[in-house]
Amino acid sequence: MAEKPGVPHHSDGAANGRAALTTCPFCSCGCGLYIHGEAGVLAGVTPSEHHPVSQGRLCARGWAAHEAPAWGERLTEPLLRRDGVLRPVGWEEALAHAAEGLRRAAPAVGVLGSARATNEECYLLARIGRQALGTANLDSAHRSSYQAQLDGLALVGGPGAAQGTLDDLEASEVILLVEGDLTSTHPRVGLSILRALRRGARLVTVGSSRTQFARLAAEHVPVVPGREREAFLGLVAAALESRERARTEALPGEAELRAGLAGRTPLEPERRVAAWFADAPRASLVLGPTNADADEAFESARVLATLLAVSGHLRRPGSAVLLLPARGNLRGACELGLTPDRLPGARGPFDEEALGRLRTVWGREPTPATGLDAEATVQLASALLVFAEDLPGALPSPGAVRAALERARCLVVLDAFLTPTARLAHVVLPVAAFGETDGTVTSFEGRVQRVRRLVAPPRSARPGWRVLADLLERLGAATSFRSADDVLAEVAGAVPAYADAAQADGSGWGAALRLPRDTGIALGPLEAPSPPVAGPVLAWDGALDWGSDPLVAFSPTLRRDHLSRRKLHPRGVVGLSLGMAQQLGVRAGDPVRLTSSSGETTLPAGPRGDLEPDVLLVPYAFREAAAVVMGGAAAREVRLARG
Amino acid sequence: MADLFLPRLAEIAEVREETCDTRTFRLRLLDGNGFAFRPGQFLELSVFGHGEAPFCLAGSPTRNGGIETTVRRVGQLTDALHALRVGDEVGLRGPFGNGFDVEAARSRDLLFVGGGIGLPPLRGLIWNVLDERERFGEVTVLYGARTPADLVYKEELAAWAARSDVRVEVTVDRGDRDWQGHVGVVPTLFEKVPLRPATTLAYVCGPPVMIGFVVKDLLKRGFPEEAIISTLERMMQCGVGKCNHCAIGHRYVCRDGPVFNYRQMRELCE
Amino acid sequence: MRQQDVGTIAKPDLREWVERLLAEAEVIAPTPAHGGDVLFATIRSADEVLWDFENPLAPPKPLVLPQTEPLVRIRRRNGRLALEPVDDARPRVLLNARSCDVKGMAFLRQMMAAEPADEAWLRRADRLTLVSLACNDPCRQGFCVCCDAGPSLREGYDLQLTDLGDRLLAEAASERGRRTLAAAGRALRPAREQDLDRRAELEGEARRRFGRETCHFGSAMRRLSAGRVEPELWEQASDWCQQCGACSYLCPVCYCFSVADRREDGGFLRCRLWDSCQLSAFTLEASGHNPRHQPAERIKRRLFHKVSAQYYRRDGSVGCVGCGRCVRACLGTTDLPALVAAVREGTWNG
Repeated sequence: MAEKPGVPHHSDGAANGRAALTTCPFCSCGCGLYIHGEAGVLAGVTPSEHHPVSQGRLCARGWAAHEAPAWGERLTEPLLRRDGVLRPVGWEEALAHAAEGLRRAAPAVGVLGSARATNEECYLLARIGRQALGTANLDSAHRSSYQAQLDGLALVGGPGAAQGTLDDLEASEVILLVEGDLTSTHPRVGLSILRALRRGARLVTVGSSRTQFARLAAEHVPVVPGREREAFLGLVAAALESRERARTEALPGEAELRAGLAGRTPLEPERRVAAWFADAPRASLVLGPTNADADEAFESARVLATLLAVSGHLRRPGSAVLLLPARGNLRGACELGLTPDRLPGARGPFDEEALGRLRTVWGREPTPATGLDAEATVQLASALLVFAEDLPGALPSPGAVRAALERARCLVVLDAFLTPTARLAHVVLPVAAFGETDGTVTSFEGRVQRVRRLVAPPRSARPGWRVLADLLERLGAATSFRSADDVLAEVAGAVPAYADAAQADGSGWGAALRLPRDTGIALGPLEAPSPPVAGPVLAWDGALDWGSDPLVAFSPTLRRDHLSRRKLHPRGVVGLSLGMAQQLGVRAGDPVRLTSSSGETTLPAGPRGDLEPDVLLVPYAFREAAAVVMGGAAAREVRLARG
Repeated sequence: MADLFLPRLAEIAEVREETCDTRTFRLRLLDGNGFAFRPGQFLELSVFGHGEAPFCLAGSPTRNGGIETTVRRVGQLTDALHALRVGDEVGLRGPFGNGFDVEAARSRDLLFVGGGIGLPPLRGLIWNVLDERERFGEVTVLYGARTPADLVYKEELAAWAARSDVRVEVTVDRGDRDWQGHVGVVPTLFEKVPLRPATTLAYVCGPPVMIGFVVKDLLKRGFPEEAIISTLERMMQCGVGKCNHCAIGHRYVCRDGPVFNYRQMRELCE
Repeated sequence: MRQQDVGTIAKPDLREWVERLLAEAEVIAPTPAHGGDVLFATIRSADEVLWDFENPLAPPKPLVLPQTEPLVRIRRRNGRLALEPVDDARPRVLLNARSCDVKGMAFLRQMMAAEPADEAWLRRADRLTLVSLACNDPCRQGFCVCCDAGPSLREGYDLQLTDLGDRLLAEAASERGRRTLAAAGRALRPAREQDLDRRAELEGEARRRFGRETCHFGSAMRRLSAGRVEPELWEQASDWCQQCGACSYLCPVCYCFSVADRREDGGFLRCRLWDSCQLSAFTLEASGHNPRHQPAERIKRRLFHKVSAQYYRRDGSVGCVGCGRCVRACLGTTDLPALVAAVREGTWNG
């Protein structure tokens, strides 16, 4: 796995005038870029032109990827809490304390990772959990809805249902974009859609606000949050009509599907869209990250996969199903076991083959059980190992998470940045940031690519994989990893999909994951959606808050927008349509009282011209302000009044 | 030749509390060299570690008061500045900008209209005029803030009001228990003072909404567009027309402004 | 041209010439990176220099305007603050820059030299020797002929090289250029009549191969400057832009920047950072007001700065060197030629 000498690259710490090819850490598109250094810190970036994803491009985040590691508040020494204060200690002492604290609490512990972790780090975290600590309480922020969408798609289309590439997307004649403000979440995907549009493709958007892409769409399907499935079912009914007229051979389960939708008459726009799908040689689905709860996300994905199947596009070459995780290496985190309900490399819960492989590789029976998700783990575990994540910033219930962290008996945090979570830790282990460590990450397309180290981590900070391997050793598992590549080699043995990744040398543009075997399409009756509600619905806007990610929060260029939004709305804001604002008689900043069956809160109004009439959106960054009204739901019927 | 981005070190010589979130700082340069400036110009003030930001010079070169600036707490850098005490060090670059054309004001009647935090840019010019009083015609100062607590330069306003050679009217949007003066928005003060559009230069500074109403009123009363003068707000960084943050069309607020007359402002576009 | 101003170096002798340059200064040249990418990088040996290459995606702009540029070191000494300007004293040679990029460097110099001059910037730029390599073929996306920035130049370089086939013709335009050329020693031969003829021939051929000009600034400039562009055009165009800033970062003549303080051991380092007028917060004021809140306003701003008559009169040239990088790097479809065409035609067509 040696580096090809063609890359002018060395990591002697000075790094002046030279560059290293790496993968962007922000969304999950996996753009390739060169990082440059000066005097031992990152100083700039250049996109890779021949890289198949970036093709010479980067979004605003990618263009500032070098900033946070150099400008952020870095953790540089191991810290131990003594007399209430975090004090610097040596690595030995810190590791010993961490291991002891975790071991003592096992198995009532939690191991929480992050979309910022590399594949190697995710895998080691899973090993720490399921092998060393005997727990299945493993998770990452934003994982549960992503996994649910994946499972929903797979229920209909098999484990390989979510596949296809950006090139497929670009060449499609019809594109269905669901809940995607792509310019802020996954701009590179947005580029493929723009190119497709230029070639005459038809875009269909579904969402509760008219985003940039909704304006470009041939058909925009407005939905109330939590009610998307209603629109999807309408599309399926229309597609079934088309299919009947075309007299194609029935798919397995099609009869039951039809029976379930018998009473439904499609609307004209739905028929129009279904016809486009039926006629298009290639039709692709882009499913953006959702803040819907897991069940709803699962069912919605299932309906969408059904729509594609019925219109003949599920697993058709050229028709892509692109499932976009919220951030970074979330796909890698899921596949490598940072999830409570499946082992590394497992295709679902109770995957015997995966269990067998791990038994061999780990030399011990891994804990196979299903554990708690992140929010439950934070509440119930007495010891937590948290890797590169600011939990209150990422999880849906910041207040509850913060309170639980303050209560935890032993909080071990590994991070490069001094986050609010790190401030609460009992043991802090400083790890490398972007540009300071080697490893691999997996893009949403399933491309496994390298991240490379150009400069050394500051002072005593160490590569994350190394610290995790040390912890694993102290927790009783024998390891012999001398490099990130060693870890990857073991990953390849435990997770067959990653076999090619470990073989790839540095000359290519990463390796594709080995796709699972086809299992055919299976349709079935679809769950009826919840009954419609009359009246306004309150929901979160977006599935994550970029401002709470240290790679954004510590970048001088990127944080301006996020900081200013927080400053402009110190008490939060509730977005509402102009019509609704007029009806209530409120202008920007006027208080609006929101009442639900869970509680009541008052928020300043933020009238917006892009919202559907009965939709109220609170930006995910301000979710704490509306937590009481939402009562844990992702979408809630509310009554509103002038505050 | 000092580098363009190398600040001069200064220490805080005095801090005066104007309102609950606004302070006036008087600075003394440590290098002992001079600082020649015109009212209406601005400086770039550094609180090292937090960055640099533009602040208008609120003093007059006719006074020995040194370099004065009045700063409201609005964010990270101003928070840090407000946490500093007498003797603490800051950096400054400047002066920048075109400043007010004091020469052009000679022999004219002068009307100053300020709102809230808009008085600081005018204060330097007002003092300049009062210090050379005989060179100017009638001088009227109209000033208002949201509440009595929000009035800046409270003592100086009183001192000016006590003078016989200047007319001062102060108002608040909302009074409090002790407020005896006028209540109403700034334009309501126009009823109280004689205005001479033919001979007067009007200097207007304050929140954009207030400026909008005041300018409309003055135009209706026959003030020529060139006789209405204000300062333009923009995000400014380098102060010398290179970073492009403050560019409007091909004009740069930091070089062609921040002082513009109304006719020039209307022509600023891209 | 004087004798010592022009000469030829045979291709087999280039290696030795570059080794001699390396002995005296840091040499930056186009080098092969990953998978066909080309990057300007500091070379460690003459073998790393590319002589036949597509213009790198990233211009050599960072050599005079780094993406992160230390300006002032802030320290505490004996309880008082001490400020130390950062001076970059390295003598450097930029080898094989294309005409568009060399013109770009000259434009940047003009911006920084404008009153009040950024003396530190000029000092560093003065220590950079510019050796350009004229283009014999139009590049993929380039339109330098529309901007008087190529395929070869008459000024702006210290030394201009032209590939004549078996040898390179070298034209020096400065004392520094002459010295750089002289470093070739015996490998430097006087230019023959046929060398000069061939050079003129190659330039003519290159110009002809551009064919139809690809970016007509004239009428777009008139409409822009007279304010005759409908707001709808900018609004529609902005739907095809994803606000990445690449057009500013990769443009050889864009130079918007911000200044910020970075904490380091012992104090702070005040740095100049690349910025872009395409980013929302570029004009965000402390009050929270943003005069260019809408992406449409920012696209309009960009085009005004680059293509208006007002700026043309101020700068003596249009704000573009026709390098085509904004076309290569746009994360949407709103590169400069597309916007100029839209303004000319009066409508945006995606």
